[in-house]
Amino acid sequence: MQTRVLRVARRIKKGADLFVIGGYFFSTIYAALIIVPLYFVIVSAFKNNNQIILTPLALPTTLNFSKFFQAESNVHLLRAGLVSAGITTGAELLTLLLAFPAAYAVARIQTRLSTLVESVFSLGFLIPGLAILMPIYEMTAKAGLLYHPIALVILYPAFNLPLAMILLSGFMRKLPRELEESAMMDGGNILQIIFYIFVPICLPGIITVLVLNFINIWNEYLFALILMDSNNRTIQLALALLRANQRAVDFGLIAAGVLISMIPVYIVFILFQDRIMSGMLAGAVKE
Amino acid sequence: MSSAERTFPNEKRILTSAEHNRRNARRRRLTFLVLVLPALVWFLTFMLWPLVNMFYISTNQWDGLNLPKKFVFLNNFIRIFHDPKMAIALHNTGIYLLVGILGIVPFAFMLGFFLSLRRPGYRILRTIFFSPAMLSAAALAMIFLGVYRPDGMLNAFLKAVGLTAITRIWLGNQATALGSLIAIDIWGGIGFNSVLFFAALASLPEELYEAAMLDGAGYWTIMWRIAFPLMIDFIGIVTVLQFLSILSGAAYMILLTQGGPGTSTFTLGYYLYDQAFLSHRLGYSQAIGVVVFFAGIVGILLIRRITSRFSN
Repeated sequence: MQTRVLRVARRIKKGADLFVIGGYFFSTIYAALIIVPLYFVIVSAFKNNNQIILTPLALPTTLNFSKFFQAESNVHLLRAGLVSAGITTGAELLTLLLAFPAAYAVARIQTRLSTLVESVFSLGFLIPGLAILMPIYEMTAKAGLLYHPIALVILYPAFNLPLAMILLSGFMRKLPRELEESAMMDGGNILQIIFYIFVPICLPGIITVLVLNFINIWNEYLFALILMDSNNRTIQLALALLRANQRAVDFGLIAAGVLISMIPVYIVFILFQDRIMSGMLAGAVKE
Repeated sequence: MSSAERTFPNEKRILTSAEHNRRNARRRRLTFLVLVLPALVWFLTFMLWPLVNMFYISTNQWDGLNLPKKFVFLNNFIRIFHDPKMAIALHNTGIYLLVGILGIVPFAFMLGFFLSLRRPGYRILRTIFFSPAMLSAAALAMIFLGVYRPDGMLNAFLKAVGLTAITRIWLGNQATALGSLIAIDIWGGIGFNSVLFFAALASLPEELYEAAMLDGAGYWTIMWRIAFPLMIDFIGIVTVLQFLSILSGAAYMILLTQGGPGTSTFTLGYYLYDQAFLSHRLGYSQAIGVVVFFAGIVGILLIRRITSRFSN
């Protein structure tokens, strides 16, 4: 009896070991494949072009910031960053303003309409952004908002509403019924209930929505490319332009731009990693 | 019915309470609509209306934003059938989809399963795997420009390990350009999706594995015999999302290859972009958009069908 248990135990250990060793082996290789290009970009930003070509993976011998200054003077990265920050702030506020009351209604008011509304929003996942880019371009031109950052402030919330609705209404469904009931007793109206009771309680959900929207909006390229011009370049447009401006590719310059453009997103990633992962999972599951 | 009424002596109060309920329901519905309407109108105006417009524009010949539209009914779609460029775009997109999905989903599942065992170091691996998902399309394109260019990182690496023979201009070579772009998707896609799988697998009860292990099953068997069938719906979801993002993707082609060299990276998404914003054949571009939209729906149904066969 005892030998049998031992045998089983040994077998578990052996099988497990081989799998786990293999798992570590492939994970390490893949992790290296991810890290090396990122490392390459970071060190390239501080080198001159000869060093980038001759010793691509060596650490820079001196910290050379000239590529950053050059990137700034070539495409006005700083200004583009401010444009992006402005658009992101406006679009974030608008998304919350639209999504929060709607998510409350869908999650907390019992009517047959909620499933209908939810399925309308879930259609959003089916609509390819590229396909509606042209009609939106026409619409923006007709509204006289072409090349104006306001156009993106208006549009980005529409793209981000489905995910925001899913995350917020999912969060609100888990809250107890008594929340509104006691407030109703005290004579509170629906807006008071939403702003004084639900907004504070839903703060974790709101932060998740804000973080995911931030990543999406800051990183968006295609709509900005078509709807903005050189006076209102977003950070992504400026980044892509670092290449277009050169006859020969100046990779140090590009690397400096990539580094600047990704710093805000990586700060958010480090701070809110778990929220980002769970939020994206919830978005995928509810697709 | 009348006997039932007789059993309730105060039927008047019941009536008013029913009426009260009805009024309550009406008020509830009104509140619901007021709260939902702004978001709904926003979404309908800037997502669904443009989609409807896409269908409308696709039935027109329209050669510039300031030029008049001319209704041509299905002409654009008839043209699509005889368009040799469309055949090329479909072919390249098909390869992109097949290689991209098969290059991402199985590996993401296996790495996600390994992560879900929570062995030492899984947290740092998870962070590394997820980090490419934080990069924008433009940043990814620029990073891989540095990797693929003639004196870039990849060729430097190949020279260093003595494989000078296979160095080439990766994005400037008809044989390697499409593969190089797909590799960018696979590079980040495996990691992002492995973390999604990790999170989804974490919701499975641990006893499932323990029972199998007592029967002498190793992790490999558990992964395919237990985790895989339980995850099949989620695998379907991940595949659908990957499918849709590749199908309507155009960013790398816009940023790196312009569909070339030759027609080697000329995909459906890039053709749509090219017709709408470079060649100014707006009507035709939207006909391609209609094709992309329906290809997406067909793809979703197909993937659902395949995964439902697996789960039976």
